[in-house]
Parts: sequence; C-alpha cells; structure tokens
Amino acid sequence: MEMKPRQAGNVAILAIEGRFDANTVPPVQHWLEQATATPGARVLVDLSETTFVDSTALATLVSAMKRCQQSKGEFALCGLRRPVLMIFELTRLDKAFNIFVDADHALAVLNA
Amino acid sequence: MSLQHSEVIRLDLPARHAYLHLLSDTIAEILRQTGTADEALVYNVQLAAHEVCTNIVSHAYRNRRDGEGRIVITLALHPQPLRLEIELQDTGESFDPELVPQPNLSEAQIHGYGLFLIRHLMDRVSYTTRPDGNHWHLVKRLA
Repeated sequence: MEMKPRQAGNVAILAIEGRFDANTVPPVQHWLEQATATPGARVLVDLSETTFVDSTALATLVSAMKRCQQSKGEFALCGLRRPVLMIFELTRLDKAFNIFVDADHALAVLNA
Repeated sequence: MSLQHSEVIRLDLPARHAYLHLLSDTIAEILRQTGTADEALVYNVQLAAHEVCTNIVSHAYRNRRDGEGRIVITLALHPQPLRLEIELQDTGESFDPELVPQPNLSEAQIHGYGLFLIRHLMDRVSYTTRPDGNHWHLVKRLA
C-alpha cells in the first residue's frame, strides 16, 4: 500500500494505492486523525487506485467521517472501483458517505 | 477451461494480517482457472475469506502473540456443480456467530461489518468447533 497525500485549495487529499486493509490501516488512520483534527476540515480520500477494502478499512473511514461531521467539516470519497463500490452498497455506506466519481468532481464541490 | 476434476490448494499461514494478501492472490489464481469468474465475484470471495482470517487473528488468537497461531486453509475447486469451497481452521478461542449482532444498516457503523460481509458474499457459510479447532466452511457457486 502506498499513501499519496496532497493539498488542493482547502481540501486535504489522500490517495491510497493498493490494499487498504487490517494490515495497512494504521498509517492511514494516523493521517486521517491529523487531517480531521482541525474544525471545519475538508478531507477527500481518493480510492481510484485502491484494489482492496476490508471491514477494518471501512471502520477507519466511518470514524474519520464522524469526526469530520462533529467538527463541522466535510469528508468525501472518490474513485471507488466497481467491486469496492458494491461493498459500500451492500453495507449501505454509499448512503452515509459523499461519494464522487473522481477527484475533479469532488474538488469542484468541496472547494466551492 | 472445463474443469474435469477437483483442484485443491492448501495454505498454512501464520495468523498475521501481513500474510493475508497471499490468500487473496491464491483465490484469484484458482478462480482464474475456471475462466468464468468476473472481477466482482473474485473480489467478493477474496473479501469473505479475508474477513474470516481477520476475525481469527483479532478474536480467536487475541490472547496469543502476533503470528503465534496459525490458519490452515484448504481451497477446493469442484466441478458439477462448479463451485469453490474454502475451509479455514484455527486453534484459538471459539465463539458463537449467532450471538454476534447484525450491523444496523440504517446508519454508518464503526464495527460489525465483518461477519455480515462473510454471510452475504458467500452462498453458504458454516462455523463449527471440534476437538482439533474451529472450522469455517465457505461455499461459492460459480455456475
């Protein structure tokens, strides 16, 4: 797994490449805790190069989203591959997260 | 490819998250032999088996040092009807899956999706405790 963080305007973006699972969650969790610590933070997780997402990774994303909501921030996901999106649909987490087709579409909303 | 006889692969892994990608790779390879499994089906089987293993690492072996326990996995591709059967065995603490609450899908949960995913991504799931350990049996129909 490789993490590629970047900033685009007011949005902190983390692209995750490879497997996002119980083995690779700790550094992502650490980055998300820092990124969502500021009140009003805008955070985007780009999953376009993420090949595998397990329930531990889902828990990490839900925790980050809830922290963001509590501090009046915004949290979004983008670029989910079809099998990953199907898992979000099965767990109905597609209704809980703001999910965009790609980073450009997400940034157009988050930076508005 | 038309499968004429059963093909069986056995893995014996230290119970550590770091090795679970080997199981995913093996599932992808054995399903590739059928020539019929699409990306989503492969992913679903990989995720279900992975969730069983993370359950074993995090719960069955929770009182052991990292990697001290083992997970013995048998993947069997059977013809007529074409199906993949996965047996996963551990010698850790047992549990009663019926006592694990279902996640509340009307709101985002932090925990509780693992067993839900295992049950929903496979066609058949059973868990039994025997003298030689705990056994998970997963079945996915491929035709």
